[in-house]
Amino acid sequence: MISSAVYTVMFYGLSAAVILLAVLAVNLRQLLRAALALMGMLSLSAGLYVLLHAEFLAGVQVLVYIGGIVVLIVFAIMLTRSSELLEDHPRPLAQVLGALLSMFFLFVAALALRDTRFPVQVQTGPPVDDVRQIGLLLLDRGATGYLVPFELLSLLLLVAIIGGTVIARKVAPPKQPFTTGGDARGETITESARTQRDIVPGEGAP
Amino acid sequence: MIELLARHSPGLPEWLTLCVVLYSIGLYGLLTRRNAIAMLMAVEIMLNAAALNFVVFDRFSTNQQADGQVMALFVIVMAAAEIVVGMAIVVALYRMRGTVDINQMNSMRG
Repeated sequence: MISSAVYTVMFYGLSAAVILLAVLAVNLRQLLRAALALMGMLSLSAGLYVLLHAEFLAGVQVLVYIGGIVVLIVFAIMLTRSSELLEDHPRPLAQVLGALLSMFFLFVAALALRDTRFPVQVQTGPPVDDVRQIGLLLLDRGATGYLVPFELLSLLLLVAIIGGTVIARKVAPPKQPFTTGGDARGETITESARTQRDIVPGEGAP
Repeated sequence: MIELLARHSPGLPEWLTLCVVLYSIGLYGLLTRRNAIAMLMAVEIMLNAAALNFVVFDRFSTNQQADGQVMALFVIVMAAAEIVVGMAIVVALYRMRGTVDINQMNSMRG
């Protein structure tokens, strides 16, 4: 009885905090603060996972989301100087339309939720050993196992690493006047042309 | 008081309502933000709501196996891969254009 009451209090408290932080994360004008709100929201979601007896997922959530994704977002905000250049004022029309559309989605989903009976709804105890169960499922070659998606996922991560590196690496500077655009003859540029190019970039020759 | 709280212990509908509210908030952010990084943050909120939904169904199903948790694990890994590529594209666009405002990214030419 006590544990059930604690469960109720924890659920509503955590839910209210998560929803509040999510609203802050999508509404704050200063992106670094929004990223901080996102971090709080994700860590409280880890608390929700613990409430659902998914302790391993809570750990993964903290490691991957907070340790990886939020840090990456903060890096990107600083690299693109988003907090100075664009304070992110949405257009009023987009704001109204977005609010209408998301409220419509919420309404439809709530209606569907109200009218649906879930036949599997049985309050079961937690599995005896979650981590063991997850590991066995991930490496199970049978019809109910997840070995192929698991391996495909590692391939996806490899592709993401390579793709991210290729896209974000430094590219050659755009074509300058007085060069032939980087082919063999353009490499052997004379000293006078080089200084000329540095003094008046983007002017003179086509 | 404790009895009252214990009697109103949240079941499947309450959990699913929480997930759908979180998803709608993410959708709102995705539609209204102008900064590309902020849009990716909204997408993260939506993915988190979806993963939470999988875990909720895992908890409330008769199946004693942890299938829903495996699915949530997949969602988290895909979110990580998506954010890596997304941030690389944003940084490359910033280097090329000097802005991350998606309203100004209306041409495919570099």
